[in-house]
Amino acid sequence: MSYNSSVNISVEAPIENQIQEITYDGTEIYQPPLTLSESLAKYAQKIDFSKTTEVDIKKEEAEEAKSDADNKDALQSSLWPWDSARNKLRSALQEVCVLADVLAIAKDKRYLILDSVQQEPLETKPMVQIYARKKALQGAANVLLTGAEKLKTSQNEAARNRATLDFHIELLRLRQNWRLKKVSNTIIGDLSYRTAGSKYLQTGTFEVTKAEDEEKPGSPPTSPLPAGSAPSKPASALRVSIPSELQGVAYIEVLCQKDQEDLCSANINLLGSGPPPSNPDMHWQQKLEAAQNVLFCKELFNQLAKEAVQLQAPVPHMVVGNQIMATVLPGIQLIIGLCHSTTGDKKQPNPPPAKSEHDHVLEHSLHQLLREVHHRNTHHPFPHPATGPLGPSKKRMMAGPMAADRYELLEMTKSETLLEQIVKQAQHFIMRMRTEYVLDTIAKEVKDPLISSHWNTLNSPTQSCVKINISTHGYDALCRTPLVIHVGEKSLKCICRDGKVMNMSYEPQELRDLIFCHINQHQILAVQALAKTMGWQALGNSNHLGTGSVEPLGNASSCLLSSPTGDRIIAVRCEPQAGTQVSVAHTPRTDFFPSRLVTEKKWEHLGGQFRDVRLEKMEGRNFLHKMELLMASLTSNS
Amino acid sequence: MGVTILTQFPTENRTGPQTIDVLSKRISALGASQQGQFLVDCETYTSAPQLGHQRIVHVLHNSEQPATVFSILESGTKTIPLATDGLFDLLMMKMSSFYTSKKQTKAESKGPRFEIGDFCVKLGTVTISSNFKGILVEVEYRPCVVPVMCWDLMKEFLQGFLGLSGPTNPPAYLQNRMQEIYSPLDTVHQYLEHFTMFRKMPGGVGMRP
Repeated sequence: MSYNSSVNISVEAPIENQIQEITYDGTEIYQPPLTLSESLAKYAQKIDFSKTTEVDIKKEEAEEAKSDADNKDALQSSLWPWDSARNKLRSALQEVCVLADVLAIAKDKRYLILDSVQQEPLETKPMVQIYARKKALQGAANVLLTGAEKLKTSQNEAARNRATLDFHIELLRLRQNWRLKKVSNTIIGDLSYRTAGSKYLQTGTFEVTKAEDEEKPGSPPTSPLPAGSAPSKPASALRVSIPSELQGVAYIEVLCQKDQEDLCSANINLLGSGPPPSNPDMHWQQKLEAAQNVLFCKELFNQLAKEAVQLQAPVPHMVVGNQIMATVLPGIQLIIGLCHSTTGDKKQPNPPPAKSEHDHVLEHSLHQLLREVHHRNTHHPFPHPATGPLGPSKKRMMAGPMAADRYELLEMTKSETLLEQIVKQAQHFIMRMRTEYVLDTIAKEVKDPLISSHWNTLNSPTQSCVKINISTHGYDALCRTPLVIHVGEKSLKCICRDGKVMNMSYEPQELRDLIFCHINQHQILAVQALAKTMGWQALGNSNHLGTGSVEPLGNASSCLLSSPTGDRIIAVRCEPQAGTQVSVAHTPRTDFFPSRLVTEKKWEHLGGQFRDVRLEKMEGRNFLHKMELLMASLTSNS
Repeated sequence: MGVTILTQFPTENRTGPQTIDVLSKRISALGASQQGQFLVDCETYTSAPQLGHQRIVHVLHNSEQPATVFSILESGTKTIPLATDGLFDLLMMKMSSFYTSKKQTKAESKGPRFEIGDFCVKLGTVTISSNFKGILVEVEYRPCVVPVMCWDLMKEFLQGFLGLSGPTNPPAYLQNRMQEIYSPLDTVHQYLEHFTMFRKMPGGVGMRP
């Protein structure tokens, strides 16, 4: 392939003859071209026979043989040009003849013997060789080592420069995440949330300085310090100085507690427990983040405290020192505290008396609420007219063109403060806890109808929903009582099986009564459903029985069942307190003895006396099972 | 927001405040309670002659929709209603070289506002460039938005306290729109109709308050 692509170059002598003379009028007079023999002679003269080496003797000889024929006719034509060639050839011939003679003599082996000359064997001592090689290798190794050393030191130098010394690179990194500006000779940064929409007045400025004085003087740049350099290096070339009120660690403590036994136990380890020692071993990033968090917590607390003072709550909110106390539900307080510990007290844990659980969820909600406020401050809903004012909500913007009336506009002006929102969330949290507790205890107490509750996974911070199923084990296909309870902020809404809606207050006892009432109703309904499958007839039922002893809570419910032939009647009465009572009546009685009052058997059909069944003595897993057995036995008897 | 019926109440030989008094007493006797005052005003702008064909813009404000400026553009054959927010007033000021207002045509209706159950009753004294012109009674029935469904009820209610001078037919503007959903713009249209009627009235008819 490469042959095909290569270009053929032909080399030939120029056709022009040599210029012999240039006349004055510029005409060139050429030499007459050489004849063939002349040019051959010219080339032959150029051959230098004495320079031939042993290697190319053969080539030379071949050439000589070829040119012999030429020589002969060259001799005849002109002796002169070929004189040197002839002389040389003659001397060569002489040499060859002598050599041939010598060889012929030597071939006879009588007068001359060709003997190989014994060459002096080189004395090779292995040790010397090893030493020599060693030395050579060492030389090479030295070269490599010095090279490596040089590379290493230069690299170390570069690394050290980049990690610590280069203030500007650090500054660049700082600028990527924080706002900085130059004021005369100092660099001032801002860590407040103002650009994110905060309207808090306290400034969060910090100063950036070069930390050259903290550099260790001794550490020669030539010695690389492979391991020791790493731990001493994190002190960066940058130093940020943060105002003392933003130093340390802060967080918002949220707890819900019963009663106000420790009204005055505000946290003592608050601000100003001493000059805050600056923590030089902290990286500036962490330091700034911590300071920013402090600022955020302060803003949050400040906002909450302001609202707590302004709000007209039925039970006034209290702001004592670093604590805000708001009454969530009677007897339950929500305490929001600002904990700000200045640095360097890692050994003494902040809350030694863990009085009640710090509520992380509510704390998180608080943070979220303030962030939402910030977000709303900076993000105005689109589209807004270029000439219109910024700030009003989207709804308010639409109010004009949509011709909203004054009620709607009045509604729009109402907005919930952070404190109100967090109080609502706390209320809901407590309501949920109470509801859970009530349902769990009832499920534990009451075994006969099974009570299962399913909490919806989807809920909001102020609303959740639980579905309750009352069923009897083994008979759940027969009768099931579903209830749905919406847990709100201060109230519960229960949607019953029949679609009735019950609104309840925050008192857990109300829910408890309601569930017990539904358990009784469930039993009565289930017995009737069972009776239907057994062929019995439900004569009547009442969910709220007016007769019998008065119940402290709710009413008794009852039902009356009659056997397929109508000769047996079962009465069931469920009471929230006393439980279930079952009585049986036989009509007519199996044995009839005429008396003076009742003379004939037909009068017995009017109904006889009810006799109590001692349910606890009966066989059966649960109430419905017992009733099934009872009905079965009474049916077969007839 | 509900259906509003606007009707004129004859003053007969009473003065404006007297008529308002009489009506206030009647409506209070029915159990209504006064809930502040109300004001509907209308200003009319005409286009400058160099704009060619003459157009008229009526700009109305209703205190019931305080954030809204209503405007109705009359250009010969078409009327274009518009509901905008408060900036429209500023826009009209900017356009003063194209649309000029005649100060003496500024009409307004203001007076007490009563609430009685689902009804809202407004007794307005109409003045045109501060000359008393008459009395307008506005009744709004809030739970309903389709006029045809509540017209009979409203008629009965109106006749209940206006007596024989209560309307017997729906307002002319609503007659074609009885089946449609009522919007605040319709109220404004009714007011404009009445205001134009008052304006066309010979000046001597209205009594001095």
